[in-house]
Amino acid sequence: MSTQALPATTAAANTETHQYRHKSQRWQNARGYLGLALLIIWGLAPFYWMVVTAFRDVDYTFDTTPWPTHVTMQNFQAAFSTSTGNHFGRALVNSVIIGISTTTIAMLVGVFAAYALARLDFPGKFLILGAILGASMFPGVALVSPLFQLFSNIGWLNGANYQALIIPNISFVLPLTVYTLTAFFSEMPWELEESARMDGCTQGQAFRKIMLPLAAPGLFTTAILAFISSWNEYLLSQQFSTNITQPVTVAIAQFTGALPRQEPYTTVMAAGTIVTVPLIIMVLLFQRAIVSGLTAGGVKG
Amino acid sequence: MATATAPASAPPARSKETALNKAGDWARRAPLLPALIFVIAMTQLPFLATIVISFMNWNAYYPKERGFTGFDNYVAVFTDTNARSAVIVTIVLTVSVVLICLVLGLAIALLLDRKFRGRGVVRTLMITPFLIVPVAAALLWKHALYNPEYGLFNGVLKWLFGENAPQPDWISNNPLLAIIVAISWQWTPFMMLILLAGLQSRPLDVVEAARIDGASTWQIFTHMTLPHLRQYIELAGLLGAIYVVQNFDHVFTITSGGLGTANLPYFIYQTFYTAQDYGRASAAGVVVVIGTIIIATAALRTVFSLFREESR
Repeated sequence: MSTQALPATTAAANTETHQYRHKSQRWQNARGYLGLALLIIWGLAPFYWMVVTAFRDVDYTFDTTPWPTHVTMQNFQAAFSTSTGNHFGRALVNSVIIGISTTTIAMLVGVFAAYALARLDFPGKFLILGAILGASMFPGVALVSPLFQLFSNIGWLNGANYQALIIPNISFVLPLTVYTLTAFFSEMPWELEESARMDGCTQGQAFRKIMLPLAAPGLFTTAILAFISSWNEYLLSQQFSTNITQPVTVAIAQFTGALPRQEPYTTVMAAGTIVTVPLIIMVLLFQRAIVSGLTAGGVKG
Repeated sequence: MATATAPASAPPARSKETALNKAGDWARRAPLLPALIFVIAMTQLPFLATIVISFMNWNAYYPKERGFTGFDNYVAVFTDTNARSAVIVTIVLTVSVVLICLVLGLAIALLLDRKFRGRGVVRTLMITPFLIVPVAAALLWKHALYNPEYGLFNGVLKWLFGENAPQPDWISNNPLLAIIVAISWQWTPFMMLILLAGLQSRPLDVVEAARIDGASTWQIFTHMTLPHLRQYIELAGLLGAIYVVQNFDHVFTITSGGLGTANLPYFIYQTFYTAQDYGRASAAGVVVVIGTIIIATAALRTVFSLFREESR
């Protein structure tokens, strides 16, 4: 770059600006912390309020004191209660079933596809990578009508047909999985594989015994991201789920209260807290992995 | 990418390697093919079906009239006033969300780039909005924040200015703005992450040198940081735009597409769900896809150029 320092000017300017820099540094730090405080409020205040409302007695819903008052667990009980036709507990189990199935299948297929894309040279490779990347940006809403007809023709839109939710989820999670894994795989020290093969391993063995353990963190990150995106899916689930297979996203949006036409806000907030807390815990535990996974796509941090 | 490293790592054994490669080529590729085929089938076939249906007259209310109609559905989409306003809403929504997210994301990234105690925790907390279930986040904004009677915004107003504080109905007064702010809240962390990665790849010695030479913080920012970040800003903006164009959850949850906030995905949903016009819904879907492809091509170009730079 053009601003490469010249040694002569550096020495002269250094002592002169030192004093000035020290002062402005402190002022800058103060400003920085103020900015940080504001940003943390912007990021967390909505969430904080969700939790406060979730723990607040229904009768005091209209009390907008900014700190917790009238704390009660009632709303959480109400969220799991089935007396008003909500099946939040079952929906949680459904989301776990759908999330785990989607993640497992997407990972199994994704590892092989990503390995092929990262390691092997073949014609049309970039075309395939492009098509897969394109698919990850594909608007889900365009799939609603063809899939709806297909699924209703083969009778998947009633009863406990979890595959009607898992299969479309896979088609959205898979491109992301392949994409992130390809980025991870192309960064790995593949010379090790070469040497393992020199030492007599087959390519399969080299992959299983040497490379897979090395790739474990990347696989883990990708699996978490796959699970989160499946957990968050709403549009297609809303169309293809039945009373039995309904995942949490659909259940939360459809919460009904004791009185008709009145939304049970505090219960919805309690349910929202229940759905979000596991994700936040997961993020806090695996933050390094998740950050590297989220940035592995286009940019490597 | 990885292909570049293979020849570099084993130049002496080159001739032997090539022979080995040739022989085992198909044997090694065969197990990988099903995965690739599966990926392509899973991701591309539904789209082909959408294209076929978009050229058909297919309305569930008139099952006997099913058949191919050429471009009728597309003409209908482009002449329908609802569809046109949906296009405008989509553009306004996407452009404003992306701009807000980029500015805020850059500000957060700059603050998180400096070293301070607890940086890891703060960074994680800042990412949280991105990982919250979108429907729950939309409900959160609708009920816990915007609600005129017990929302946090009016609560804070009351708390600051006493009982006579104004208590606006945020969503009814500014429906589109309400949605824009809620989506921006969720997408800012995504932009922030990409920009932070960009900031951290900045050559710090050069920045330090510039500072010693007497460049002000602002000069460093405009002359060094911003040019360096350009590519990352483009990438963040494009990827963000692709996802915001498709937003359905927030529009559906916060206003149910009412009050002039119906965007294209919501319009498709309505055409499909209430009008049961599968042909027209598919045509509108294809329009969204084409729009997305235009943005995506630009995004992919940026991604690939970054990949190429990495492997150099």
